[in-house]
Amino acid sequence: MAEPIEPDLSRREFLGVLGASAALAAGCSRPDRGEIVPFDKRPAGARPGNADLYASAFQEGLSAYGVLVKTREGRPIHVQGNDKHPSCAGKTSLRAMADIMGLYDPGRLRRPLVKGRPASWDQARGRLLSDLLGARAERRPVLLMTNALLSPTRRALVAALGKALPGLKHAVREPACGGAEAAALKACYGDARRPRLRLDRAKVMLALEVELLSGDRPEEIKGFAANRGEGSMSRLYAFEAGMSLTGANADHRVPWKPSRAAALGFALARALHQSGRPLPAGVADSVLAGFDLEALAKEQGADPALLRALAEDLKRAGSSALVVAGPALPPQAHAAAFLLNTMLGAEGSTVDASISPPAEELAGDEESSRFLLEAAQGRFAAAVFWGVNPAYAFPDAALWDSSAAAIPLKARIGRTLDETARACDIVLPEHHWLESWNDFEPSSDLLLLQQPAVAPLYDTRQGDDVLLDLLRGLGGGAPLDYRSYLMERWRREVQPASSLLPFERFWSSALHDGALRREAASRPPRRLDGAAVTKLARQTGAPAASGFELILSPGANVFDGRYADNGWLQELPDPVTKLSWGNAVCVSPADAVRLGLADGDIVELSAGGVEVELPAVVQPGQAPGTLGAALGYGRRAGSVAAGVGVNLFPMLAGSGAAGLLLPDTELQKTGCRTALPFIQRHHKMEGRDIARSITLAKSRQPRLTHSKDLATLYPPRKFPKHKWAMAVDLSLCTGCQACAVSCQSENNVPVVGAERVLEGREMHWLRVDRYYEGPAENPKVLLQPMMCQQCDDAPCETVCPVAATNHSDEGLNQMAYNRCVGTRYCANNCPYKVRRFNFFEYNAQTPESRRLAFNPEVTVRPRGVMEKCTFCVQRIQEAKAAARSAGRALRDGDIEPACAAACPAGAIVFGDLKDPASRVSRLAARGRGYRVLEELGVKPSVTYLADLSNPAGDRDAS
Amino acid sequence: MLPEVLRREPLIAGPLTAAALDEQVLSYPERRPPRAWFLAFAFTASVMCLGFALIGYTVYEGIGVWGNNRPVGWAFDIINFVFWIGIGHAGTLISAILLLFRARWRNAIARYAEAMTIFAVMTAGIFPAIHVGRPWLDFWLFPYPNQRGLWPNFRSPLMWDVFAVSTYFAVSLLFWYIGLLPDLASLRGRAKTRLRQIAYTVLSLGWRGTPEQWRHYEKAYVILAGLATGLVLSVHSVVSFDFATSLVPGWHMTIFPPYFVVGAIFAGFAMVVLVLSNVRRLMGIENLITMRHLELCNKVILGCSCLMGYSYLCEAFTAWYSMNPYIHHTFLQYVTGTYGWAGWLAVVCNVAVPQVLWSQRVRRSIPAMIGVALCVTAGMWFERFVIIVISLHHDFLPSAWHVYKPTMVDIGILLGSFGFFFTLVLLFARVLPVVATTEVKATLPGAQPEGVTHG
Repeated sequence: MAEPIEPDLSRREFLGVLGASAALAAGCSRPDRGEIVPFDKRPAGARPGNADLYASAFQEGLSAYGVLVKTREGRPIHVQGNDKHPSCAGKTSLRAMADIMGLYDPGRLRRPLVKGRPASWDQARGRLLSDLLGARAERRPVLLMTNALLSPTRRALVAALGKALPGLKHAVREPACGGAEAAALKACYGDARRPRLRLDRAKVMLALEVELLSGDRPEEIKGFAANRGEGSMSRLYAFEAGMSLTGANADHRVPWKPSRAAALGFALARALHQSGRPLPAGVADSVLAGFDLEALAKEQGADPALLRALAEDLKRAGSSALVVAGPALPPQAHAAAFLLNTMLGAEGSTVDASISPPAEELAGDEESSRFLLEAAQGRFAAAVFWGVNPAYAFPDAALWDSSAAAIPLKARIGRTLDETARACDIVLPEHHWLESWNDFEPSSDLLLLQQPAVAPLYDTRQGDDVLLDLLRGLGGGAPLDYRSYLMERWRREVQPASSLLPFERFWSSALHDGALRREAASRPPRRLDGAAVTKLARQTGAPAASGFELILSPGANVFDGRYADNGWLQELPDPVTKLSWGNAVCVSPADAVRLGLADGDIVELSAGGVEVELPAVVQPGQAPGTLGAALGYGRRAGSVAAGVGVNLFPMLAGSGAAGLLLPDTELQKTGCRTALPFIQRHHKMEGRDIARSITLAKSRQPRLTHSKDLATLYPPRKFPKHKWAMAVDLSLCTGCQACAVSCQSENNVPVVGAERVLEGREMHWLRVDRYYEGPAENPKVLLQPMMCQQCDDAPCETVCPVAATNHSDEGLNQMAYNRCVGTRYCANNCPYKVRRFNFFEYNAQTPESRRLAFNPEVTVRPRGVMEKCTFCVQRIQEAKAAARSAGRALRDGDIEPACAAACPAGAIVFGDLKDPASRVSRLAARGRGYRVLEELGVKPSVTYLADLSNPAGDRDAS
Repeated sequence: MLPEVLRREPLIAGPLTAAALDEQVLSYPERRPPRAWFLAFAFTASVMCLGFALIGYTVYEGIGVWGNNRPVGWAFDIINFVFWIGIGHAGTLISAILLLFRARWRNAIARYAEAMTIFAVMTAGIFPAIHVGRPWLDFWLFPYPNQRGLWPNFRSPLMWDVFAVSTYFAVSLLFWYIGLLPDLASLRGRAKTRLRQIAYTVLSLGWRGTPEQWRHYEKAYVILAGLATGLVLSVHSVVSFDFATSLVPGWHMTIFPPYFVVGAIFAGFAMVVLVLSNVRRLMGIENLITMRHLELCNKVILGCSCLMGYSYLCEAFTAWYSMNPYIHHTFLQYVTGTYGWAGWLAVVCNVAVPQVLWSQRVRRSIPAMIGVALCVTAGMWFERFVIIVISLHHDFLPSAWHVYKPTMVDIGILLGSFGFFFTLVLLFARVLPVVATTEVKATLPGAQPEGVTHG
């Protein structure tokens, strides 16, 4: 028998060593990131690890969208459209998706400030209220400046406040929306209600200088996409100065000076009249006599036959025609559009004003100037600036400064310490919309409910609650919080008398849905005032100015600057110029040659005595003699926004009443240059077969290209259960980039900043490529979303020395981030260049609060690692798990990657190629289906369907 | 006797005895080096330190401090790797292939050229190690048993590189070291200080110079020469597979393996000329490394230059004949695009300039040959720039095209690699015999039977 082993250590020593090694081990391991406390009792309904969706609503400018907010463990991580919002049906503005960053903005104010010092709510409120009481006692006016309210309850609250404070002057400002359309509506219809555009009903569309297909117009994109397939094909004509997505998607795009848009409209009206369409009552035909299509075509260098075809098409389409004029155009052009729509019978069909909610009275620059002038004279006792940022966006900065100096007490309700907040005495930090209650009325048959998806992160209050509190302080009877106020109004006014449900049930079902459909009060169809149109037509003439016509438009991503603090939206390029992180003035190629300009040359714009310097971009398709530039840049405050781009609002001070169109602008080269952070730097396809476009007639011919499996040494891959694939219909895609934002949010894609974009290191997993084909004066534009093609014989996989990228048996090209050492060979060998490398530890720069927006289902990639689109593998797995627990097989449509879920056009379809009945299988077999760079033999899983165009005169189509 | 014009120039200039040769070569490591050596060492060592500091900075911050971007995933890192691996080729060619061909003129320069091979491969080896995003995980590229059961991907050309380069380094090192043994033993015999005695005793591995040892030595040397000969051809072929087996237009070419091998020998010989033309003067061994040696090297350079020209033409022809629009475009970018100057620089430096070597006067002029060698060195570096950067910056989808700009860190690390290489070259000259005395003795007058003419 062996001797028992005598330990050398005594028990006491052993414990000592044990303790020391445990301490050593603890010291060597990663530091404790925080306390973990399990739920003692799990809150009802909380399912850790599962996402919850809450219905809410998002408002920007003059639109509101129903959204679903995806939360994980109580934090909102993703926003998508609410399918209960009928006209958007599950889609939403790209900014609704991106503004989740606003919730976690590290620059958010966390407590009230009084004179720049942190204060309690009681102090701040007491100070403001005492001044308001004083103003009421002295009968001095108080200024309240807000964005468009759009909410019936909020409007009621402001009205109630107006009653309690008789001197309250309310000015509604939407600085980048322009006032010409409202003015024209008011003049011609007596009511500024904006009709809904039913692009889904339109067969022939004429877009005059209007952006209908950008990512903030999901409703229009959806309607447009309804008629862009083989089955039903509309025809879109676009007459515009700058290249917009509308022009890019048009069957005929004509570079056209904005000052002549009205003349075109009236000339078309004349042509229609001559071919037998009656003029509406009150419009004298003599007034149209001066407008001649042929002469206009000659003047603008357009093809007269095209204008004749347009007139013919409009006439043939009749009530299925639609004419839209853009916000930058003068009222005359809008009147011409109204006239055409009325003559064609489009009013009530494609132009639907019957369910438009009452229009908000917007204070244009002139009216706001009047208020500020009064303020500068010391008339106002106090002013409250809620949301609006006049210190940045008011064109006449000197007037703003003098009035700000003359207002004794300025209060700010807002989320960050922005330009206006810095000028105010009291700063009241506001909830983000994801922490707020509200309702919105996008149309009179629909109410959207906004509910908080998260408890307030900081010591903030909803703006409405601040007003409500003031209302109570001023003696108006009101409930304690805005939520009760909202519910009370709903109980009183919204729940139909016929509803038998108890209010609580009614309310909770409305909250659950986020949208309430109701009977719209029937309104008589609006009537066009012929005399007003005649009057406007008389004012239409050729411009006398010799300078450039400059159109200012809200930034495609940052809007009027209120989203400029959002890194996602700054890095997302302009959909046409592909410029990120800043704005530039678009110059036509002909003018660029004449003035010796190239991309990045700094030019000086001057109009009406205002001068601004900014870089120029030579924009193919820009009409000669016109310029275009985006508003919303050049903010002076904001952790992300400050110093990005150039503020062009001051230019509006020089425009006078003309709104967003500056008819006489001078442009001068300064001789300086700057490097512009373009996301795409080469604009031609170089004759390569990348983004295909065919005419409708051609698509009906037998298939022209036959894909042939190329010889390979490797055995074909086997996919036992599923073969995931995607189909992208280029005919439906408008290039709006909603997919890119959704992808960024879903997949924790980092933002790298302008400097890194300049170096070519942007990280977008999904980009929308834009190519120009044909003459630079007016090229054809091809748009193509490009993501990982999940090739069956992926060139990236064979070259990875550590097999970090490999193939799943469901057809996915997977990345094992843990295994990646970062040789970048895979990216070199990827013909689509969709692989992105973490050149730095990008997430080390992500502020703590922004990390809350990370999707916990997706790994946050460290530096030195390659990453790329995964087809949202986390959503695939989630859907598979859900199907398994429900005891059923996966159904087609169960899985929607973030891009497909966000695409307003429904251009992206995902599914299983093993299922011959799946939508993606059927699309992949379509005649116009093709795979990009198929000849390389990599067998991509993404099928693109060639873009269809429907030009006039296309044989056996139309 | 051959007539005067046909008689070969002797391989050793002037009268020299075996003892004098030993004294001339072996005393060098025992003497205090001249001032010039210290100055040169101080310079190269500081450049080397700069390079290593920048490498440290890169490892700390990430690859982002370089100019690499998307689509140009590889740039200076891999250019430098290919460049330095290429430089190594001349040494192996001289020591192995010329040995097998019994070209005795190699004997005097083989030692130095081999040392340069080793140092060049060491320099090259830095780059694959540091170019990855997470260099601390480099060991994953080696097939070692692990509990995760993970193996590297043997289909990846980078994997082949790992084997090719490590084999090359191992064989070259052994070959060089075995060749050093007799000289190390001689140094041991001459050593005066204790430290030297111990060091050279250990290093010479018990060499006594017995006939038995010489027999083994000669066999081992020839076997290793045979192995190394294969490697001269295989290593750069495998390196070229990194490119040739990929899809990238401009890389996907069947001519790459021979083209790379020729280019490597070309660049390697240029470096040999560059180093030896200076070393022979500084170390006073002009009688051992004669103008004839340099002229022969220059002839190899001239021959390789013509082959490079042929390769360039072949590449152009393939690009045109392929009817492949992507390759057409890439090739046009080589000569007309943003970096067209780099393409022309490579053609001028590698093909045009070396043609002056047709003249014997140039081949035998030290300043002229240094000028040509510098041109070739720069030209070959830019050739790799052309292949790697220009091909990558315009590949299939024009939407992804982007220019590449190196940063100061890139340039600093490139300079640092030269610093590292030349520091090693200088250290070698300081501590080891730079000429293989035993081999040179075989070329001393009278060491070999003279050819006898009959009638």
